[in-house]
This record gives sequence, structure tokens and C-alpha cells, in this order.
Amino acid sequence: MLSLLGISLVRFLEGMFAVGLVGSTIVLLITFVEDAELLFGREDSHHP
Amino acid sequence: MSSPSQPANNLGNRVRIVVATSVMLTFISYWRAAAIVLNDLASSAFYACGIAEQAVGKSAPWFIVGVMLFSFTVRAVYVESCSMFVRGGVYRVVKEALGGTLAKFSVSALMFDYILTGPISGVSAGQYIAGLINEVLRTADAHGWVPRAVHGLFNGTPQFSVNGLSVAFALAVTVYYWWENIKGIHESSEKALRVMQITTIMVVVLLAWSAVTILKSGYQHVPLPTADNLHFSNESLGFLRHTFPEQSLAHMFGLLGILIAFGHSVLAMSGEESLAQVNRELAHPKLKNLKRAAIVIAIYSFVFTGLSALLAVMLIPDAVRVPVYKDNLIAGLAMYMYGPEILRLIFRGFVVVVGFLILSGAVNTAIIGSNGVLNRVSEDGVLADWFRHPHRKYGTSHRIINMVVLLQILTILASRGDVYVLGEAYAFGVIWSFTFNSLAMFVLRFRYKGERGWKVPPNITIAGREIPLGLASVFLVLLSTALVNLATKSVATVAGVSFSVGFFIVFTVSERVNRKKYALAKQQMKDHFQLLQRDTVERESLRIRPGNVLVPVRDYNTLTHLRWALEKFDIQDQDVVVMSARISRFGSAAYDLAPEQIFSDYEQTLFTRAVSVAESFGKKVSLLVVPAGDVWSAIVQTAKNLESSAVVIGVSSKMTPEEQAFALGQAWEALPEPKRQFVLQVVHPDGHLETFRIGPHTPTMKDEDVLLLHRLWLNITHEPGLENVHHHEILTEALTRFARDYGAREREDILRDLKRIGNMPRHAGAPKPPAVPLVRKEGGDGYPSSEAEE
Repeated sequence: MLSLLGISLVRFLEGMFAVGLVGSTIVLLITFVEDAELLFGREDSHHP
Repeated sequence: MSSPSQPANNLGNRVRIVVATSVMLTFISYWRAAAIVLNDLASSAFYACGIAEQAVGKSAPWFIVGVMLFSFTVRAVYVESCSMFVRGGVYRVVKEALGGTLAKFSVSALMFDYILTGPISGVSAGQYIAGLINEVLRTADAHGWVPRAVHGLFNGTPQFSVNGLSVAFALAVTVYYWWENIKGIHESSEKALRVMQITTIMVVVLLAWSAVTILKSGYQHVPLPTADNLHFSNESLGFLRHTFPEQSLAHMFGLLGILIAFGHSVLAMSGEESLAQVNRELAHPKLKNLKRAAIVIAIYSFVFTGLSALLAVMLIPDAVRVPVYKDNLIAGLAMYMYGPEILRLIFRGFVVVVGFLILSGAVNTAIIGSNGVLNRVSEDGVLADWFRHPHRKYGTSHRIINMVVLLQILTILASRGDVYVLGEAYAFGVIWSFTFNSLAMFVLRFRYKGERGWKVPPNITIAGREIPLGLASVFLVLLSTALVNLATKSVATVAGVSFSVGFFIVFTVSERVNRKKYALAKQQMKDHFQLLQRDTVERESLRIRPGNVLVPVRDYNTLTHLRWALEKFDIQDQDVVVMSARISRFGSAAYDLAPEQIFSDYEQTLFTRAVSVAESFGKKVSLLVVPAGDVWSAIVQTAKNLESSAVVIGVSSKMTPEEQAFALGQAWEALPEPKRQFVLQVVHPDGHLETFRIGPHTPTMKDEDVLLLHRLWLNITHEPGLENVHHHEILTEALTRFARDYGAREREDILRDLKRIGNMPRHAGAPKPPAVPLVRKEGGDGYPSSEAEE
């Protein structure tokens, strides 16, 4: 029973981590584009 | 404008006080802001990979690289947090989102992070220094340069206990910065910039030399970050090693292994929170500069921390990397470069110097940060005012500094110089403070309706409701990592939870004590004072005339200068403004203070005393509180805005009157045009007065110079057509010719002559003039003797 609870908890954590990583990768890519725009002098207007 | 005969500042029995809410700061460029953050963030490059490899094995550098990439998203959360227009300390802002209990735990985690920064940085610097000393001794011994007597003393090659030396070094640095903070030495962004310039030279040499080494000598393969390549030590599994004793966790749960390894590497992004601390000081346009600083920080730390971790595993042989160089990995990297040993040893020395600069700087940052956060927590009402009691001589919050440093010293002693143990504990504070911050930002997306300059992307709108997908993703990674760390970092969990619970109890008790006290103070304030909140300091809001007298006050026990001003100046002619500058030190907070925090109970007592003094003279004064980063900038900016003709201050316990005048002059020089001159009057406790002019002014001329000018005038006016020439026209012509000669061929001659004059004996005690600023003591040629302490 405890083992099942432990395994479920681990799977839940793994799920959170995986979903978070996918979303964070998207954040990373979007901010890279914004950073590039900022560095090359274009005004930031995507996220007021 | 009011007439002095009419009450300008009393409404009924209530005293009118103008509270300026815009902080008077000396703004810094985004490069300097980035340098300050990198002094903290880049310091983790010196120990993060060594700790991670001990925990997860040879594929650790990939996790460091992964964490550095992920740090770009954490940086985005901090940018959003800084772009919100909120007032108050971190506790107040998190409380708004998560409630009092979680806010208290959040601040506790942040404090754990700040306090641990000191010991880990100090001990790590000690490891680099001790490692170099032993290496030099080994090399010297191999060449037969160590005397036999010394050999006999050590029973062989002289070697010191690395951990013992590290502890001694960390204690020495901590005590040194404790005293500096007690004295209130101001942290300069210039110093941070210099350290980062030196560090950049080291990084460039390190990367270039490593590239040459790879080309000439080849490299070792760094295993990919897969479950098969993870080799957890017993310590790195923490409580889980008891739960699954017979099974390999990494194999049983593929992703869990990655998550555990990620959790052991989060240390690499420690220091990211410092971004919030420099936000307020950034020059206009603030958000753009904040983003630029964040880009510089993220790229720099990715290149330095990420690549140096990879290179360490690629170039240092497995046999020595962990056993010998685990705690000074970059020094080990220097020793395995391609080239002669002496050159490698010299470069290692350079690495140690840079490590010393950046890591010891991080010790100072830790004390400043802890002091700043706890001051704000106290202002937010969750830490007893007792902690904020100003030092009798230096005016600093010595009790908070003493407590922080005591905790740091105990941590250093308890660690016995073990960087791994310190790193594990430090990671607890880092990950939980990031987690609470991202959670607060997530919740505030729904609760906070005020101005927000930027949002973490992407955001989608469903049924008119915005869903912060990006923010939620970053939070999920941080939360899952923080939870796994609870299970895998047993020492950190025990230490972190104990610390947080301890602080939580202190905060809860303090809050209860303060609640009653604040209710009384609030009522008293309501009865006696009327606060007028103004964005900036304006003469009109104080209802005073130009040419007024500004009297800055700080300590309610030393108001001699106010008495002097009230006695000396007639308020029929000149209004007297009593000003208190509410100082929040450089890099001490992410958000501006709320008006009631700016005018705290201390200011209440201070102004009550000031009003009593004024009433004893039968005179009225205008009262003003300004938040500021630096007292001198606050005084000159206020004097400028109010068009004051005189500033009256008391003698400082830290500086001579000349140094005070010089510091004020420097601040005046930094003011943008237009600006006007004023007179500074420094009043000694015995009533003795020293007067200085701030800004350009007519110099005092010696009698012989006046005579020379007069003789010239007599001769010149005898010339035909020059009968109507004035003295000042002769002076103008002479100065114009002097300026022309100085700018051309006779510059060296002029400077030589001036040096000769400058070295001629003056009257006793008269110091030499400085190059800047334009400050001169009245009634003589006495100039400030030295630069004011910064």
C-alpha cells in the first residue's frame, strides 16, 4: 500500500516535471526571440 | 504659498508632513546592474559542478547546462515580478498572493538562501586558496626548494589541512565584512563592474586555452544525461536510500533520476534572486534596462558556469577530478591545460585571485542582502522593531547584522569546511525561494489588477480569463524539484526546515507583538500627523518660498543643528524645512516602500521631537520625509527641488565636516542641470559652525592677488582707449588666456607650477584641495582632506 502510494507520488512528480519542462522550453524559445529583438533594437510590443 | 505668520504645517492640532514616495536614487546602467548580480550568480561556477558530480556522477555538467538554460525562464519570472508596480517588502507582496503563513515561510527560505550564500562562498574561496598553497608547496618540494627544517616539521612535503584553512579563511572574510557592514560602508557598483571585468578576462583565457588543449591533447567524453549514466552516491539519495534500499531509483523511474540529478544541480543558478534587488536602481527606461541586464546575466552565467562545468569533465582526468579537485574544479582545469607547468600554475593563481574576489564579494552580498530583507520584513511588521535599532555611532541595523553574521559563523564551523554539505543546504534555500516567488507571481496574475510592465509568455485567454501557461510551467518545474530535494537532501531538509520553522516562530511572535503596538502607533499618528503623499518633492506641496533652509535630521537625540537653525534664521524671511531621509541601502530591496513604511514609528518620534524643538522657539517648521538610496543625493536633490539657499547639518560620527562637505559636493556634481548653489553649514555639538559653499562660487582671493589685480588695472586704464576697463574684465581676459594656454602647449608648464605652489607649506592643518567637486570652505583656503567614504 505504502509502496503504491510512493510510486503514485513519484509518477505525479515526474508528470509535473515533464509538463513543466515542455512549457519552460516554450517560454525559453519565446523569450529568446524577444531578447533578440531587444538586442537588435526593435521595440518590445508582444507582452504589454 | 503661505505666509510665515500663518500656520503652514498645522491643521488643527495635527502636524502636516509631506511624504515623498519616489525614491531618490543614483541610477546605474544595466551593465553595472548585471555586474552586481553576476558577482553573486557567477560565484556558483566555482563550486556548483563539483557538488553536482559528487552527487550524480560524470554526466553532471549536462545537468548544470540544463539548469543554466532553465535559469533563463526563472529570470523571466523575476523580470515580471520587478515590472509590477507594487510597494512594500517581499513579505507584503507574497502575503498579498499567498497569505501570511506561506509568506512567512517564503521569507524564511529567502533568508536561508541569503545566509548560506556567505558560508559557501567563504569556504569555497578558502578551498581554492588552500589548494593553491598546497600545490605550490608540492611543486616547490619537487624542485628541492623547501628547506629541510620545514620538511622535518611536516614529516614530508609541507601540506596544510584544506578544510581547516578554508574554515579559517571563511571566518576571517565573514568577520571582515561584518565590521564593514556595521560601519555601513556603501557597496559600489563600480567595484562590482571591475570584478566582473577581471572575471571576464579569466573566462576568455579559460575558454580559449581549453579550446587549444582540446585540439592538442584531445578530451574525455561527457556521458549523456540518461538514467543509465546516473550514479547516485548514498548521500545524494537522502531519505530515499532507506525507502528503496535494494533498487536503483534511476532505473526504476527514468524521469525521477533526471529530476533528482536536476535537483542536485539547481545550485548553479543561485544568485538569480539578486536581479530583483538591483531593479530599483536601474536607469530609465527601467524595464528595457532590466531585460537587458537579465540577458547579459543569463548569457554570461550560461557561458561561464555551463561551459566551465563541461570543460572540467572533458579535460581533468577522472582519477583526480573528484578526489583532488572536487572543491576547486576551475583550479583543476587550469592545471590540466596544454602548456608548461609554470604557465599553468600562474593561471591557477589567477583563477584563485578571481575566485577570491568574486566569492568574498558574495560573502558581503549575503550580509547586505540578509540585512536588507530583514529590515524590510521588520518594516512590514513581522519582525520586532528591536532588531532594527540603529547603531549608536554608525546608524546601521547592527542587531540584524550581528544575528546574520552569528548564524553564518555557526554554519561555517558546523560545516567544518565541507563544501558539499554547505551546497546541499544552500540548494534548499535557493529552490524554495524560487518556488515561492514563482507561485506568488502565478497567484498575483489573478489577484493583482495594477500596472504590470511585462508578463512571462505564453499566455492564452479562455472565456475571457487569461491563463499564464509559461508561469505555470516554470512553477511546476521548480515545485517538483523542490519536493524531490526534500526527499533526496536529508541534511538540507533537516537544516532548512529547522531554520524556516525557527524564523517562522520569530516572525509570528513578532507580528503579534507588533500588531498591538502598531494599532496604538497608528492611532497616535492619526491624532498628531497628517500625511500628504506626493510622488516627488515639490516646494508647492510644502507651501514654502524659494531660498528656504533645509535641515536634514536623523537621530532624535542630536538635534543641536536644528536648534541652531531655528535660532539663527528668521522664519519671516526664510522657511525652515526639517527633512528625514529614509535610507534603503543599495541592492537592499526589490520594491519601493509604502508611505506608512516611509513614515514609520521612528520618523514619528523624530518629528515629534523636531516639532517640540521648533515650538520651544515659537517657530514653525515644514516637515518632509524622502526615501533615498543615499543620504547625500537625497539632500542635494531635495535642496534643488525646494530651491533651498542653505542646508544645515550636524557633525557626523563617521566623517569630518570637510568630508561631509566633500560627499555633498560629489552628490551635487552628479545632479543634472539646472542646479543652484547653496551654503552648507555644519554645526558642532558645542554650537561651533563650519560653512562651505556647494557648487561654483567666487573664490577667496589673497590680499597680494587683489593688489596685483589692482596694479594691473591702474596700468591698463592709463592706456589710451582703455580708461573704462573694469577689474572683472581684466580677470576675465586673464582667465581666458590661462584656459587657452592650459589647453595647448603650456599645459605641462602650468601643471608643474601649480604643483610647486600646491606643495608650498600652508598654514597648520590645511589639507590639499581635491580635483572635484566644487566645494570650498568659507573663510580660508581649507579644502576637504580626503575623499568621503563610499
